[in-house]
Amino acid sequence: MDAVTFEGVSKHYRLGLTRTSLPSLAAEWVRGALRPGTRTSRGDDVLWALNDVSFSVRRGESLALVGPNGAGKTTILKLLANITKPTAGRVHVAGRLSALIELGAGFHPDLTGRDNVFLNGAILGIRRTEIQRRFDDIVDFSGLERFIDTPVKRYSSGMIVRLGFAVASCIDPDVLLVDEVLAVGDAAFSQKCMSRIRALIKQGTSIVFVSHNLYLVKAACEKALYLSAGRCLCEGSTDEVIRAYEQDIHDERARRCAVEQAVPDHGGGIEITSVTLNGAPAAGGPGLRNDTPVDVRIAYVAYVDFGRAHVSAFVRRSDGIACCMLRTSRADIDIQVRAGEGVVTLRFEKLQLCAGMYYVDAYFLDESDAVVLTPAGVRSAWFTVAGDGLSSPDDSGVFEPGAQWAHQPAESRAPTTPVHATEGPARR
Amino acid sequence: MIRTSQTILGSGDLLREWTARTIRARYQQSMLGWLWAVVQPAAQAIILAVVFTRVVPIDVGGVPYFLFAFVATAPWAFFAGSLTDMTDSLVSNMSLVNKIYFPREVLPIASMVARLADLAVAAAFFGLAVLFYDAPLPLGPLIAMPAVVLVHIALTTGLGLAGAALNVFVRDVRPILALVLQLWFYASPVLYPVEKVPASLRPYYDLNPMVGIIDGYRSILLAGALPDGRSFALAAGISVGICVAGYGLFKAVEYRFADVV
Repeated sequence: MDAVTFEGVSKHYRLGLTRTSLPSLAAEWVRGALRPGTRTSRGDDVLWALNDVSFSVRRGESLALVGPNGAGKTTILKLLANITKPTAGRVHVAGRLSALIELGAGFHPDLTGRDNVFLNGAILGIRRTEIQRRFDDIVDFSGLERFIDTPVKRYSSGMIVRLGFAVASCIDPDVLLVDEVLAVGDAAFSQKCMSRIRALIKQGTSIVFVSHNLYLVKAACEKALYLSAGRCLCEGSTDEVIRAYEQDIHDERARRCAVEQAVPDHGGGIEITSVTLNGAPAAGGPGLRNDTPVDVRIAYVAYVDFGRAHVSAFVRRSDGIACCMLRTSRADIDIQVRAGEGVVTLRFEKLQLCAGMYYVDAYFLDESDAVVLTPAGVRSAWFTVAGDGLSSPDDSGVFEPGAQWAHQPAESRAPTTPVHATEGPARR
Repeated sequence: MIRTSQTILGSGDLLREWTARTIRARYQQSMLGWLWAVVQPAAQAIILAVVFTRVVPIDVGGVPYFLFAFVATAPWAFFAGSLTDMTDSLVSNMSLVNKIYFPREVLPIASMVARLADLAVAAAFFGLAVLFYDAPLPLGPLIAMPAVVLVHIALTTGLGLAGAALNVFVRDVRPILALVLQLWFYASPVLYPVEKVPASLRPYYDLNPMVGIIDGYRSILLAGALPDGRSFALAAGISVGICVAGYGLFKAVEYRFADVV
């Protein structure tokens, strides 16, 4: 059974209606009369926030909406929440809906946490008796027992979010909308929220999830929808969709790089012309193996005899998290830069990275290893790391050491050999 | 189905919570607190009493002028206060309206109910004032009191809902309302008795529903008589019509609120 149905939904907003006061309209009319050539700004400017989008979410399924800003993700949430109506198409939500959007938006600063739980519950459409029944759970989950009779204006913003999440999620909704809220609380609470969301999914709650943190998306959702400029570009399993999205981000980056490349920067005297991996500018598709060597080739051109310099390289995950930093200043290598083109290579014997998308950034530093000579982030090579882990629903880190497990069971008097199990780099 | 069937009728809990929130927020960090419900109309009645007994005496038919004025200023304070609060109720909670769905009429109606609590406090004060002046208060006609209050509520609700909805789109509603209330005050029998209005003007004058309503309060509470049937029926009809129209307007544009940022 479908919990959420979106059928050919379009939504447009009219632009250009910002000036509606009579004096400014009159002024515009006068201006138009004096200069007949100029068009008035009050045209029929229409923004199609959504353009013929269709999808459905079954009971107990979780759908992520990904895409750049202005893609229409928030508009979809607003339509689902029944805050606004579509211009065309049909939106249907079966059952009780709850939204983790702007947590604590309905809180009144002068009321206590207790009063606000009831108030916020009422706004979400929960009966008072039901909140009474679940009140202890809610307080428990928020971890605010000590402050529940304190006015909310004395709460920290994190405490408000915690209480808001507790109310919105403790009511067993049939459909739950989550909009970029888990970024607010501390790490421990985010974790608690994620496990609460997973528990709800198990109970049959359908989730529609919006976040720019693709790792969170991967962890929470099985299906995803990639939106751009109000259109649905692709729909499918989270891994596939996120790969398509990241590929587009990468292409966009590459396009920007190409534009910048046309205007060489002589400022530092050195310029990195390309960063390649195993001879290719990017390794998408099946990607690199974790257990085979990888060569990073950093080609540069120097316009002067520079003398001694250093090179640093970052390996970063697609969300920008630095996985490692490698610098020639720490290695036994002396780089003397002379005018002309040269190449610095860096060899990874084993990548030891979890499956996912990454990129390498490299830059030159001067002799003191403190002054950056080439802007970072201009040349970077993207690559994917393949592995069994790609289908795993949760993200379990960035680093895959070759580690070994052992277990010494109880009740074993006789000295038996411990059971060994090897965890290889590509296993989880 | 949660989506289409939601109106104020299914939201009793929310109305109660929001009303409590409104009342508590209103008297937060206020020394007089709910006493303001009395102070404001009483002060207005005292000022009117001084002006219209000492400076320009008006014949109000033997009733103490303070009582004569207070039975009108207290309902007027409810009327004007409600309309002002209701008109602001959506705009000042736009962050909520933009984020979560609930029947939007709860916000303006809760503002009105909160003012109704003030009216109840003022009514209790009126009882004390009657004892103080040792004025007669026949209990029989009080039976008609709920009808007058309901008509008054209907009129206030209809206008307030329309004001709240329109104010989302055009903020001019707020200053226009202040102006209209000022004119309306003098076009209603608050500081003078209805009988002072020339008979030739009465057909038009009676189209103001506040005439029938205030005259109704006065007949019951001061004259000890049932309200004048014709003028009250007219007020009731107009008020109910305005209530229905205001609610209809509100529900018709409800889904555009979130599109106006």
